[in-house]
Amino acid sequence: MEDLIPSFLLKQDSPDSFQLKGKRVRTPFLEKGMEHLGEIVKIAYAQWNAASKEGVFQKIDARIKLLFLLFFMTIISLKKDIESEIWIGLLVLLLMALSRLNLLHLYKRILLFGMVFGFLVALPSALNLFKEGEILLPFLSFSRSYQLWIYSLPETVGVTREGVYGLGMITLRVVNSLSLTFLLLYTTPFPEIIRALKLLRVPDTFLMVITLSYQYLFLFSKTVEEMHLAKRSRLLKEPKSKEARMWLAGRMAFLFRKTRLRADEVFRAMVSRGFSDTIKVYQVKTLQPHDWIAGFSFLCIGSLLLWK
Amino acid sequence: MEINETQKIREKIICLEKVSYNYQNDISALSEISLEIVKGERFAIIGANGTGKTTLLQIMNGLIFPSKGRVFFKGSEISKETLKDKGFLSFFRAKVGYVFQDSDVQLFCPTVLDELLYGPLQLEIGEAEALDRAFEVMEMLKIEPLKSRPTYMLSGGEKKKVAIGSILTINPEVLLLDEPTNGLDPKTQCSLVELMLALNEAGKTLVIATHDLSLVDELQATTAILSEDHQIERVGSAMNVLGDQDLLLRVNLIHEHIHRHGDVTHRHLHSHYLFHRHERE
Repeated sequence: MEDLIPSFLLKQDSPDSFQLKGKRVRTPFLEKGMEHLGEIVKIAYAQWNAASKEGVFQKIDARIKLLFLLFFMTIISLKKDIESEIWIGLLVLLLMALSRLNLLHLYKRILLFGMVFGFLVALPSALNLFKEGEILLPFLSFSRSYQLWIYSLPETVGVTREGVYGLGMITLRVVNSLSLTFLLLYTTPFPEIIRALKLLRVPDTFLMVITLSYQYLFLFSKTVEEMHLAKRSRLLKEPKSKEARMWLAGRMAFLFRKTRLRADEVFRAMVSRGFSDTIKVYQVKTLQPHDWIAGFSFLCIGSLLLWK
Repeated sequence: MEINETQKIREKIICLEKVSYNYQNDISALSEISLEIVKGERFAIIGANGTGKTTLLQIMNGLIFPSKGRVFFKGSEISKETLKDKGFLSFFRAKVGYVFQDSDVQLFCPTVLDELLYGPLQLEIGEAEALDRAFEVMEMLKIEPLKSRPTYMLSGGEKKKVAIGSILTINPEVLLLDEPTNGLDPKTQCSLVELMLALNEAGKTLVIATHDLSLVDELQATTAILSEDHQIERVGSAMNVLGDQDLLLRVNLIHEHIHRHGDVTHRHLHSHYLFHRHERE
């Protein structure tokens, strides 16, 4: 083997010292995205950690929590006034605080998603381009209104009172729905959610898909993180955006291939262990008095909000 | 040859000072690790599964950064900040190569040849020289017939060879190898050990993370043993560490084993290496 060692490996060709260039290496957007994908495990750990805390919502049976989620999601969709949405928002905030969750961390994420999927998506509806209304803030004025096929351009384009109200409603609905989901996810371990869904008669095939996808998410995240580190360990200079895109495309193909192989392996392993398409649950707990009290309280509060 | 203390300080290549690392800011992976690796040394980090061997290698390669403590390469600190400097990044990455345990994650170029050329071309070595390097390495590793093959069409052993080759073409001074013999057949393992010894003979510093005690014995490496508390239990010569049964039992690298020979059942310490000896032997 020694005789075959190439001559270039016998000499040290790179300099033995370096000069600080003062120029900073910038990380392309795609690289940062890869880094964040690796944080899925961290998020799951935070959820698991929060779910094992001694808080009010953690003590309630997962079935009651799931019904509470469905009931309040329905209320959020049915209510048409901002006041009720604010009350629901405050109720969830109170429950989160009583469950000893990290409010700052959770609301940072909830508000970010709320802004993107609620506020930004619905923002154009605040203008009088889609629905007429009382203009609060005029933007553009024309000499006359125009009609283009089914679209109309009014003489004055601006933000209307009705538009602002609608925008507020949609944003609050998204924020409240997210808060409710986060409250459930951060106070209930994932296996408990699946067990509760099974007891609430959700089809097994659906639960299988959720369980396997959830588990695969961690494998996927771990592989992505390792690929990213492996790339970084061989990166001798600042990564270029174009190279990062090419690398990402190649890696996506690799992951697709690996996922298909993994799916086949998992299925064979399931079959070899006697897989049938039913999920068996064991040690089903009966609902305790505090579960019934919590369920009844949520029912009363929800009914009150609906009636109001 | 005994290396005196002054020489050792001068030739220190990697140095860790009270390094701790926590996953998710909570789960400890390494606790107060202090190590010194000398230029040209064969250094093995051994420990049971989950003791933090891979984490330690990744810290040495500046891929992740300690929660506490400091890491130095040739006297310069390896940190998020220092690796943001273009000059230091190029210097450090050209000097330290890392072979991952899972070769699949490491190989990302379309073909084997592209994989071997990736490093030299990044170093801005001329195309002709880069090609020379790639072909010389392929010849050494006996993978020349695979040069046009996509890496996903290779066997486990071939992938490992390509992964090592892709690092060797950079000609790093230090090679970090994570479980290098894992999943390889005995013959490939043997040729890999020969290659590692030859590279070390050529002046490369080898740092290996493994739980394969026979590999440590074959390399006769300076050995750091990690405990299940994620601390350094001992640093010593391979003979010193591998000869201490109590120590290996304590860190769960050997265990008591019961098996049968015909009608006779008997028990002895078992490591799949040193202590698989029967009492009458």
